[in-house]
Amino acid sequence: MWLIWAILDSRRERADEDRSADQLALAGLARGDETALASLYDRHATGVYSLALRILQDVGDAEDIVQEVFTQAWRQASRYDARRGAVVAWLLTMARTRAIDRLRARRTRTQDVIDDDVAEVSDPVALQDAMLLSGEQVSRVRAAVSQLPVLQRVALELAYYEGLTHAEIAARLEEPLGTVKTRIRSAMLKLRDALEGAR
Amino acid sequence: MAGPTDHNALHEMSGLYVLGSLSREDRAIFETHLAGCPACADEVRSLTRVSGSLAQLPPQIPPSPALRARVLAAVGRLEGSAEPAPRAAAAAGAFGSLSWLAAAASIVLAAGLGVYASQLRGRIGALEDQLREATLRADANERQMADLRRVSAEAQSQVAVLASPDLARVDLAGQPVAPSASARAFWSRSRGLVFTASDLPALPPGRIYQLWVVTAQAPISAGLVRPDQTGRVNAVFQTPPDIPQPVAMAVTIEPDGGVPAPTGDRYLIGTVASRPVS
Repeated sequence: MWLIWAILDSRRERADEDRSADQLALAGLARGDETALASLYDRHATGVYSLALRILQDVGDAEDIVQEVFTQAWRQASRYDARRGAVVAWLLTMARTRAIDRLRARRTRTQDVIDDDVAEVSDPVALQDAMLLSGEQVSRVRAAVSQLPVLQRVALELAYYEGLTHAEIAARLEEPLGTVKTRIRSAMLKLRDALEGAR
Repeated sequence: MAGPTDHNALHEMSGLYVLGSLSREDRAIFETHLAGCPACADEVRSLTRVSGSLAQLPPQIPPSPALRARVLAAVGRLEGSAEPAPRAAAAAGAFGSLSWLAAAASIVLAAGLGVYASQLRGRIGALEDQLREATLRADANERQMADLRRVSAEAQSQVAVLASPDLARVDLAGQPVAPSASARAFWSRSRGLVFTASDLPALPPGRIYQLWVVTAQAPISAGLVRPDQTGRVNAVFQTPPDIPQPVAMAVTIEPDGGVPAPTGDRYLIGTVASRPVS
């Protein structure tokens, strides 16, 4: 039993270490310290790149997003408020917002736009309570995603990774707005339970 | 636009709100509600954790090493702060006048050199071992990465189909041999076919389900379908881009390996609506 606690403790410590290393790096960025940027990059470039690649499906575009995100982090580090949450959540929110902006611009160019709602869409909510997941948590959430009823999963993926709006998802799946709304909330509640079970 | 007059309709917006998928109008409505509803505020907070975890689900693929240099250089240009470290230059100056110290040191060094050489041989051996190990690990990583790429390509092809503009949806109903079975197909001429089914009966040995895209001319095989233990199917198929406009889709049971034209019992049938989704 004590062994389990020891393992849990060490994992929690590691997460705390990562978090404080990030805070430290960000303070370095705010002072204009380039080695701090390099250390932040080494810890999170893979996460930022993988998310951008998943959304944009293009290596060149994903690389551009990585550059934009770390440049923005460098510029805005002094304004970053640690109370707003983990640095990794900040970086990933920037990555998703920028990648989806680019995706929507691409769709507008190919005039594959369903209605004017695209321009009217709101930004994603900042991920105050998000944190870096352990490998075990990632596999749990992945498993939970694969067990979602397929239309819940599809609606969620279209919203999250394709950046489609409520109205666009409803049109794409030929379903009423209310149904799409319910599907997405149900899917997210299930993933929340899986995530909380994993802690 | 959803006509949210009661609390439930508003409450249900939480998921779309967190994902940033609400229209500006609905977002304003929901935020007004949020300010006075602690239950919704709690739910939104808990769902931001889900949104944050979705960001971390894609297979983790490291970017090319060249990108690191490019990003650091771009930031360096931004500030124009490529000044050399002044402390190193000062240190060299201080020791320059003490060149006799270097001479003395070299004598001490020579004495220690024999011991050092033998230590060095040991270190080189250890380093060679480490290098071998690292090479093995790099090979393993490469294999793992290839696996990850494959898995992610499979998952993404589904969404690629569903995100295509020429998407058509087909609901397939269970036939007398399997009345409770049901399925839904999403078909895009340009990107392929996503097929999901539930409650398909377990296959007897040596048999397999086969999915057919029925055109006015003839049924064309889309592929073979093997349900999991719970009778569910979730699969992606490619269809030829020059396929004639389908009128229906059907699933039959066939000998293992499949057949060029359907021969067995029909388990699922659905007709294709003439109008594409979008």
